[in-house]
Amino acid sequence: MFKKILLATSGAPSTFGAARVAFDMAKRYGAEVVVFNVMGVPTKAFSQVVNDVRTGEEIEVDDEYRAWVEEELKSTFEKQIESVEYAKIVTTTGVPSREILRAARAEDADLIVMGASSGDSSAYRKGYPGSTLQRVAKAARCPVMTVHRETASYWGGFGNIVFATDFSKQAEYAFRFALNAARELDCDLTLFHALDISGKVMDQNAIEDKIITARNRIRETYGPLMGDFKNFDIEVWEGVPYVEVVKIARERSADLIVLAHHSRELDPDLASIGSTMEQVILRAGCPVVSVSKPDKV
Amino acid sequence: MPEGKFCNKTPINTEEQLKATLGDKGGKQYYEEMNHLDVDSDKLWAAIQKTMKSRTKTWLEICAHCGLCAESCFLYQVNGRVPEQVPSYKIQSTLGVMVKKKGKVDNEFMQMCMETAWSKCTCCNRCGMYCPHGIDMGVMFGYLRGLLYSQGFVPWELKIGSGMHRVYRAQMDVTTEDWVETCEWMAEENEEDWPGLEIPVDKVGADIMYTCNAREPKHYPEDIAEAAILFHVAGENWTVPSEGWEQTSLSMFAGDWECCKDNVLNVYAALERLKPKRAIGTECGHAHRATVIEGPYWAGRPDGQPPVPYIHYVEWLAEALRTGKLKIDPAKRIKEPVTLQDSCNYVRNQGLKNVTREIISYIVEPGYFVEMAPNREHNYCCGGGGGFNGIGLYREQRNVALRKKMEQILDTGAKLVIAPCHNCWDAIRDLEEEYKIGIRWSFLKPLVIKMLDVPEHLRPTEE
Repeated sequence: MFKKILLATSGAPSTFGAARVAFDMAKRYGAEVVVFNVMGVPTKAFSQVVNDVRTGEEIEVDDEYRAWVEEELKSTFEKQIESVEYAKIVTTTGVPSREILRAARAEDADLIVMGASSGDSSAYRKGYPGSTLQRVAKAARCPVMTVHRETASYWGGFGNIVFATDFSKQAEYAFRFALNAARELDCDLTLFHALDISGKVMDQNAIEDKIITARNRIRETYGPLMGDFKNFDIEVWEGVPYVEVVKIARERSADLIVLAHHSRELDPDLASIGSTMEQVILRAGCPVVSVSKPDKV
Repeated sequence: MPEGKFCNKTPINTEEQLKATLGDKGGKQYYEEMNHLDVDSDKLWAAIQKTMKSRTKTWLEICAHCGLCAESCFLYQVNGRVPEQVPSYKIQSTLGVMVKKKGKVDNEFMQMCMETAWSKCTCCNRCGMYCPHGIDMGVMFGYLRGLLYSQGFVPWELKIGSGMHRVYRAQMDVTTEDWVETCEWMAEENEEDWPGLEIPVDKVGADIMYTCNAREPKHYPEDIAEAAILFHVAGENWTVPSEGWEQTSLSMFAGDWECCKDNVLNVYAALERLKPKRAIGTECGHAHRATVIEGPYWAGRPDGQPPVPYIHYVEWLAEALRTGKLKIDPAKRIKEPVTLQDSCNYVRNQGLKNVTREIISYIVEPGYFVEMAPNREHNYCCGGGGGFNGIGLYREQRNVALRKKMEQILDTGAKLVIAPCHNCWDAIRDLEEEYKIGIRWSFLKPLVIKMLDVPEHLRPTEE
């Protein structure tokens, strides 16, 4: 299921975790890695000037500059590129989220792997408010894996997957991805739902009733789709959803969290912080996959 | 040395030439070569005799040098009010002298003309409204640019820009395949949120043929998606042409007249081929000027009109909101101080001032819209018009030019600026980057989509 992995990287240390996971997966599962770099964000109308994504400086992209960026990427990821059978470097200029989506489509990638934050000062954000990840996660046809914390990248392969559901349509796609991954990679799978009681004072009996209802709903919704797959269990915990997702992942020593992404909100002020997915990504001790489309699961 | 490798009197006509010129980083060699470029005085004088018509002759002749145009020019205002920035001086000392000397001018003079034509005038045409004789220096600078281009004295980026149009028939390297592919991609990307959404290519006999700006497929394809969403929700029968979709004209900024004509004929050919009832262009000012206002004359159309009625996006949007094809959810209207940038090219030059304000009346909660001062046809250029935004050589001058718009925006107190024009949008973005005054800026499409009251049958099914 992972034949081609698009590693979207600025080449900066903040993306090294994502790179480690992408190459490790490629090595384990025989995938091709496309190291994809948007080297500059267009500026100044139709002129040839772009803001370099690393330095923020204005530069003019020509063959020489392109070659230099490729060389930099090659030396940054030298050992990793050597460790896999197929890898190539692709560079371009443009608005990063848009170009990542374009490349994933052109390459027919099975998975996009990227870091979660390029920092506020980065040229990625300059003049283009909104997070690259949000935009990519919303529109990508394939699952998007994010590795934010350095510690999230030191797992070797996958053995325990936590799939967290909110019972949305997209969660069904995310479930299919989680199940297929668990099957193919021989993992344990936890089907999890966090009962949101944040900011509410609820009667304990009511909470427990809801937990039972949610457990049943998981069983009814996903049980029939399990086929002969047996290595799964069901959990429902009450609390603040992102906290509970991170907690169960820690408790199960999960090396992969799978979530659905279905925020329509692209307004950067509203979308960038606050969603469960974003909070999980920031806090999780393992890679997080978000799925919003059924195409590549 | 008469003709340089990059800087010469020959337009860029092949991809190879284009790439080679692009490879000359920042136009370093190009501008060096320009220092040695000969002026073909005979050709220049012949061109003037052939193309300078009575209006321009009269204007040059009757200018009383009264200086009433001075204050009308934002570049005069932001550049210390020096006499060299008075519009009448600017045109008399360039085109005026060129004509008086019957084209017998030297390289140094031509370079001075180039600097004046592209860094001291954005062809915003505001001066023409304040001249007691109605002399429009902007129009004359447009003409002067043509003369300069024909002699090879044109900023590097604009030589490339018109070359792009000549090679790709688009201002950027977007091929027909790229364009059609992008339309498919955008339909695919949005079909889930907007069930039934299509971007029909080359549909014959549609009510609307839509044209856009090559920047959209190249860098911001969501703009095309947004246009599609709004047509879809409004229930329009529309299409885009596979050829002739690019409405802009950097050749107009460059003064490449031959290419201007070719651009517009390409769009008109699509209209003849697809026979739509009318055409609508994207939120771009100069594209509208090129295709709708000036284009018919370039194309030699006797009625001075495009082959079918051709309206600006704001006209369609106002109509769709007025007739109820698009409905706004009143609860989602803008409820913060917001201002509006009038694009010179379709407000001052075509009078669409009330149309944009009608749109504002639907999408902004009463009491929150703050006009810039001055506004409508009296508004100032964004600071980057006429190609100014894209010329590296004049970056500093352009940044100074942005100050007028910055002051106007600051005076409104608004943090959101609606800019229904690609060029204005760019200038305002650069303004924020340069001066960091803490504003946001937007086209109309994304704002309207956010506040639409979408009919039940067009909403995605929730599970």
